[in-house]
Amino acid sequence: MRLIPSRQLAIVVAAMATLPIAASAYTQAPMLDKLVQDKKLEPVDKRLPATPQVIKPLEKVGVYGGTLRSALRGNGDYNAILRLVSPQNFVRWTMDFNGIEPNLAEKYVVSPDASEYTFSLRKGTRWSDGTPLTADDILFSMNDLVSNKQFYSNNLAPFTVNDKLVQVSKVDDYTVKFKFAGPYISFLEQLATPLAQHPLLWQKKYCSQFHPKYNPHVADLVAKEKAKDWAQLMRNKCGDTEIATRWTNPERPTLDPWIIKEPYGGSATKVVLERNPFFWQVDTKGQQLPYIDRVQLSVISEVETIVLAAINGQLDFQLRHISGIQNRPVLAENQAKGAYKIFGSANVNANAAGLWLNQSTKNEKLKKLMRNKDFRVALSLAMDRKEINDIVFLGQGAPWQLGPYVSTSKWFNQKLGTQYTGFDAKQAGELFDKVGLSKRDADGFRTYPEGGRVSINAIAMISNPVHIDVLELIRKQWAKAGIELVIQSSERTLFYDRAANNQYDISVDVFSGGQDASLNPRAYLSIHPQESRMSLEWTKYYLSNGKNGEKPSPSMQKRLDLYDKWQTAKSQAEADKLFKEIMEEAANEFELIGTIRPALETGVRKANLMNVYQKMPSGWTYPTPGPTLLQQWFFAK
Amino acid sequence: MLSAIPFMFMVSLTVFILIQLPPGDFVDSYAASLSASGEVIDAATMADMRHRFGLDQNILMQYFQWMSGIILHGDFGYSFEWNSPVSALLWERMGLTLILSICTLMLTWMIALPIGIYSAVRRYSIGDYFFTLVGFVGLAVPQFLLALVMMFAGVKYFGIDVTGLFSQDYANAPWSWDRVVDLLKHLWIPMIILGTASSASLIRIMRANLIDQLYMPYVVTARAKGLSETKLLLKYPVRIALNPFVSSIGWILPNLISGAVITSIVLNLQTVGPQLYQSLLSQDIYLSGAILLLICLLTVVGMLISDILLVLLDPRIRFE
Repeated sequence: MRLIPSRQLAIVVAAMATLPIAASAYTQAPMLDKLVQDKKLEPVDKRLPATPQVIKPLEKVGVYGGTLRSALRGNGDYNAILRLVSPQNFVRWTMDFNGIEPNLAEKYVVSPDASEYTFSLRKGTRWSDGTPLTADDILFSMNDLVSNKQFYSNNLAPFTVNDKLVQVSKVDDYTVKFKFAGPYISFLEQLATPLAQHPLLWQKKYCSQFHPKYNPHVADLVAKEKAKDWAQLMRNKCGDTEIATRWTNPERPTLDPWIIKEPYGGSATKVVLERNPFFWQVDTKGQQLPYIDRVQLSVISEVETIVLAAINGQLDFQLRHISGIQNRPVLAENQAKGAYKIFGSANVNANAAGLWLNQSTKNEKLKKLMRNKDFRVALSLAMDRKEINDIVFLGQGAPWQLGPYVSTSKWFNQKLGTQYTGFDAKQAGELFDKVGLSKRDADGFRTYPEGGRVSINAIAMISNPVHIDVLELIRKQWAKAGIELVIQSSERTLFYDRAANNQYDISVDVFSGGQDASLNPRAYLSIHPQESRMSLEWTKYYLSNGKNGEKPSPSMQKRLDLYDKWQTAKSQAEADKLFKEIMEEAANEFELIGTIRPALETGVRKANLMNVYQKMPSGWTYPTPGPTLLQQWFFAK
Repeated sequence: MLSAIPFMFMVSLTVFILIQLPPGDFVDSYAASLSASGEVIDAATMADMRHRFGLDQNILMQYFQWMSGIILHGDFGYSFEWNSPVSALLWERMGLTLILSICTLMLTWMIALPIGIYSAVRRYSIGDYFFTLVGFVGLAVPQFLLALVMMFAGVKYFGIDVTGLFSQDYANAPWSWDRVVDLLKHLWIPMIILGTASSASLIRIMRANLIDQLYMPYVVTARAKGLSETKLLLKYPVRIALNPFVSSIGWILPNLISGAVITSIVLNLQTVGPQLYQSLLSQDIYLSGAILLLICLLTVVGMLISDILLVLLDPRIRFE
C-alpha cells in the first residue's frame, strides 16, 4: 500500500524520527580528513545541517571507502547517472515503492483540499560548493526558470493544474509554498519520480549568472560560449532534468551524494563522481554519508561488452542494459569467477509483450471486429501463452493480461490480469463463428462476411527481438484458428512513424503501468500521444478537447471522465476509489491483449557490496536503483 | 580545382536531404529512445524542444541556416544530443581517429607490399600458397567477428580487457609520456583487427599487378642486359604496380575518418565512426551532417592528392 498521509485536516507530517546525536558525534570519510586539517574544508559539524537527516542503513552500519563501478551504454545514457545518484527532491519513495518519505524537506504540510503544499527545508543544508540552501534557490528555479517562457515555452505537466502553472512563494528563508489552481493529490508522488526534479535542481548563486534578470551582461557570456541564447547557455552550464549537460560541468553545485569530477562528454570513456563533502545525511552512528568514496562509470557502446565486463567482475553494480532474460544463464554461471551475486528485480511494467489492438485502424472491416469484445476474447483464447513463456521467456514469466502482477500492489486486480489467459481453441473458434467469421478461404483463413481474408498487420521494433519472437509464435497459433497475422518489424523511428500515422492494426510493446499504474496510466487511458496505442486517434480527441481525432468508445470515455475527476480529487481515498474504477472498467472492456508478465530482471552486485535492497523494483518512475539509497551502500572489508 | 565548389554545394544539399529523409526528427527519436528505457516525456516538452532546436521550421530554412553558419562563421551548428557545438565534439575524437587510422594504414602497407611482391615473384611456391590462404581467410572473416573473438579470448584465457584505447587510469588523464605508452599498449589490437582485411586485399592487388608486369618484354630485355634482379624488380615493375595503390588514396582519406564503424563500436573505440553511427540513429542532424560533409570533402581532397602523386610516380600520365 502506498501510504499517503490522510488529509482530512491540515496535518503536519513530521520528519523521520531524528535520533538525538551530540553535535561533536558526527564523523566523516577519511579522504576528507586531510582537507579539513589543511583548512581547505570546514569541519564536518559545520558542513552538516543543524539536524541532518538520519538514514537507518538497510542491514548494518557501514564503513567508508571504495569505488563503485558500473557501466553506461555509449554516449546517450545520461539518465543512467541520474538513476545512480538519484534525483534529490523534497520527498522520495520509500525503498519498497509503497510510500513517500521526506528527503530534502524536513517536513511538509498539505492543505485540506490538496491544492497547497508547504515545504520546510532543513536549516543549514548546503550545496556541494558550501553555499546554504534557502527558499531563494527554489524561487529561482520555479519563478525564473520553470515559469519563464524563454526557458520552457510550454507549461510543465507535473506543475500544471487546470492549465495553470503552480504559484510558488516564500514563507520564510527556509519555507516555500506551492499553490495550485485546484486539488492535486498526486503531487508528492510526482515529486518522488524523476519527472518533477525542477524545484531543487538549480542553485541561484551559480546559475543566476546565466540569467538575463540577474546578469545584464549575459549576452557577452552567450557570445563567448558560442551559445544560441541565454536559455541554451543555462542548459549547457546548469543542465536540465534529462540532458547530458547536467553531467558535463563539474562546477555546477548540486545536492547529490556524489558530484561530477570527470565529466560525461561526447567522447568520454570514463565518468567519475566523487563524494559531496556537504552531503546532508548521516547514518545512525553519526557518520556522514555516502560511505563509498567514488562512483566510476565506464562508457561502453556495445551491450555485449557490458555483459562481458560484468562476468569478468569489472562491475560492482549493474542492472540497466544487462537485465534481459537472455543474459541470466551466463550471469548466473560466472558468479564465483567474477566475485559477484545476481539478484532479481521486478519490473514495474504490466506486461513484457502486449498486443495493443488499434481500435481506430484504417481497415474499416477490421475496425468493426476490433471493437467487438467477443473478437478480442477469441484472439486471446486462441493464444497458447504457456508455449510463449517456455520458448521466449525460458519459463520465467507467467501468462498475464494487464495490471500489476505483484499481489501486494495497491492496484492489483485479479480479473484484469488473468481473464481469458487460458488456451481454448474450441471456444475461440465458436466466438470467431459468432462474430461472423465462419467462412474460410482456400488457405484455411477466415473471411469477412463481406468477403476478403481477415488479415491483421502487427508492427514491432527490431530493437526488441523478444517482441518479434512472441509475434512469430502468435502468428502460428492464430493461423491454426484461421486468423492471418502479418508481422512488420522495423527500426524504432519508423515504428513510431507508422503508429503516429495510424498505419497498424496491432502494435507490440510492453504494457507500462503495473506497480506504477496511477503514475503511468497510458495502457488504461488514451492519454499519451505516442504510447496509448489502443488508439492514438482517441488520444488526439481527448488532448484537443474534441477538436481533432476520433471520439473514444463509450467505455474509454467513461474512463477518461473518471480520470479527470481523479486528477482533481480532494482526498487520497476518493482518488484511489476513482482509479480503481478506471482499472475495473478497463478489465470489463478488455481492449488490450497481454501475453506474459515480465520475468524478473537480472542484475549483478559485487559479493561484498552491502545494504543493497535486493527486491528493488525496476522502472523509471522508481528510478532504479536511486531510491534504494546508494549513499548507504558500502563495501565490506 | 574550382569545379570542387559547386560540387561541394551539391554534396551539402544531398547530405542535408538524405539525413532528413528518415521519418521523424531528433525529438521523435529522443522520445522513442526514452520510451525504450521506460522513461517518459510529455507532449508539451516535445513541442518545446522542437521549437528550441528550430525543427519546427521547414527544411529549406533549416538548410540555409546551417549553410550560412558554415560559410559565414565557420560554425557547423549545435549537436542536439550534446547541447554543444559540433566542431568541439568532432575535434575531440579526430585526434585519436587519425592516430589509429594512420598507424593501421602504415601497418597494412608494411605487411601487404613485401608479401605481395614476394607472392608475385615466387608464384605458386609454398610461401605464395600460404599467404594466399591467409589472405583469403583475412578477407573472408568479418572484422567485428574477429574483434569479438579476440575480446572473448582476452577475458577467458588471459583475464585482460582488450577494448578501448586507454586503460581506466589514463582515460581522462592529460597527455603525458605514460599515457602515450598506455595508448601504444592498447593500439595494436584494433590495428591488427582493422589491418587484416585491408592487408589481405592489398596483397592480392599487388600480386596481380606485379605478375602482369613481370612478363612484359621490357623486363625480359632488362634481364638480358644483365641488370641485377633486385634493382630490376624494384625500379620498374614494382613502381608501375604501385599505380593502383596511389590512385586508391582518394578512397583511403575518407575511410580514415569513418571506416570500420561496427568494429569500433564492438571494441569501444572513441573514434568518429561510432559517433557518426550514433548521430544518424538519433537524427542529430547537424552532427551527422558535419561528419558526412567532412567525408565528402576528404574524398575530393584525396582524389586531388592521388592525381598529383600519380603524375609524379608515372611520367606517362599527364593532365590534359
